[in-house]
Amino acid sequence: MVIKVEPRRGRLIIHLLGKWRFEWTVEPRYWRNPLIAVILWICLPLLVLLMPRGLPIGPTALLTSLFMANVVAISAIAHSLQTIGTGRLNFGPHFFVVVGGYAAALLNKNYGLSPALTFLAAFAVAALVGLALSPLTIISRGIYFTLITMILPLILYELVFWRVDIFGAETGIPGISRLVSTGDVMSDYFISFYVSLAATLAILFVVDKVLRSRWGLMFGVINEDEDVAASFGIEIKKIKVAVFTLTCGVMGISGWLIAHYYGSFAGTMWLEPWLLIFILLSGVLGGKATIYGAALGSYFVVLTRDLLRPFVGGAALLALYAVLLAALYLLPEGLWGVYRKTRYREYVPTIRVRRRA
Amino acid sequence: MLQVSGLVKRFGGIVAVNDVSVKIDRGEVVGLIGPNGSGKTTLINLVSGFYKPDSGRIVFEGIDITKKDPDERVKLGIARTFQIPRLISNMTALQNVTYAVVGSRRFKEKKMTLTEAVMEALYYLDIVGLLRKRDVLCRDLPLYELRLLELARALATNPKLIMVDEVMAGLNPVEADNVAKLVQRLREEFKLTIIWVEHVLRIIMRSVERVLVMNEGKIIADGTPREVSKDFTVIRAYMGEEVVA
Repeated sequence: MVIKVEPRRGRLIIHLLGKWRFEWTVEPRYWRNPLIAVILWICLPLLVLLMPRGLPIGPTALLTSLFMANVVAISAIAHSLQTIGTGRLNFGPHFFVVVGGYAAALLNKNYGLSPALTFLAAFAVAALVGLALSPLTIISRGIYFTLITMILPLILYELVFWRVDIFGAETGIPGISRLVSTGDVMSDYFISFYVSLAATLAILFVVDKVLRSRWGLMFGVINEDEDVAASFGIEIKKIKVAVFTLTCGVMGISGWLIAHYYGSFAGTMWLEPWLLIFILLSGVLGGKATIYGAALGSYFVVLTRDLLRPFVGGAALLALYAVLLAALYLLPEGLWGVYRKTRYREYVPTIRVRRRA
Repeated sequence: MLQVSGLVKRFGGIVAVNDVSVKIDRGEVVGLIGPNGSGKTTLINLVSGFYKPDSGRIVFEGIDITKKDPDERVKLGIARTFQIPRLISNMTALQNVTYAVVGSRRFKEKKMTLTEAVMEALYYLDIVGLLRKRDVLCRDLPLYELRLLELARALATNPKLIMVDEVMAGLNPVEADNVAKLVQRLREEFKLTIIWVEHVLRIIMRSVERVLVMNEGKIIADGTPREVSKDFTVIRAYMGEEVVA
């Protein structure tokens, strides 16, 4: 038998192909397996297939919402890591999203680069811009850093209108290759979602590994008190520059997804404050500086807006902000905090170490 | 080991450290005393790299460290404790020592893993007697244990010179004696050079071989505890002109 399940008291032992053995504790508070969350996440778009007809929101709109949730999640996860690793609150994450988007759009349209190559380019260009701006994490702190980063999208906004010949202003850059083009619209939507999900999961996996390593410990100290970090040998300047650069690159991937999903890219739309608010609120609502919370928060924010739209029309954003304010008031520790409260064993921070093989 | 020459640090119009020159040899335990606001902690902050001097030079083991960042100085072997314990309150005692191990020169040189760093941190916690408190969050530790934890964290950086800043402030006499004995034991076990800033003169006078006295940013006396305690300028600095008269 390929899979044999052996029930024991309080746990299930799963034998796979007679070679591998997995043990799963049945009691929910002991569930430690993130595989369950990933499986649920992968199955999420299948809800679309089960949707009855006649609902105010159609299957393609729902798939687009799920795709957008992943786009926001990527930036929110990167933003959370950036906040932890630099101890600074960046108010211009959407600037890096748009930089990545324009890099992908311009290289695809003008030089014919495939989406696979523009993926690398979007990451590289956003990371390079991040690297150029990274000294800000050393020379400014607190409200000054926040204000400087808040100005970045405004500068790009002006630049986009100044060089209409390059950026196309409000019209944007049309005629970009689609992320997938199978000829079947529904398949394209599904595959696009899974591409964005793969990117989100890959980023979540890498960030999770980083935070569980010695780097995570050092990021935590920098976040709490960078003077103490420096006093005990942590190379804060190098770490802050590296974290800022790489996380800016990751935000650029969100722009790459947007550009190739819609087939056109108008930066002016994405430079508006709503995207900033979505990214920031995803992090805060999910649970301050928790990467899983940021992913959860992104889904909450994007789906709430899109599911409210058929009912309240143009007031969807207004209704969303009302819901979010209520959620922030009622859940001070965020969505992830609600989950973690049921897992007392994890409530006190622990160092996770892995023995060498 | 440490040579400070012509060190000056100003905060606006106030000269906190005024042309200080000091030489400290390997293995010495030097007490640094003086009235409040005399510039002791500022001097510690200058040597540890917390502050950059306005002028002057700091040389440690033949290397000019005047312009080096604090993390570079730690890797050369300079560690410190803080007057008011500055530990990461949301982290456990073990985590607070572990990051110091991770930041040390030895962590890089020996290519240690996080597991090995944790093991080493446990060793330092054991030395100061906090092993059983390893999983307690720092915000839940009393002041005495925070002081011990600060010492463990400083030791974890594998220092040659350790600057202990008012480690007995806020402790009762029994706790203060315990800390004094611990500092002496650490000096012998780890062959440390110690600069010990302190207000509790009773303990410092019997624990150190040499005392530096600071007043208004200047070193006003340098000698054995017996010599310094009889020095006219020191008595005047502590007691004022009228008492001396």
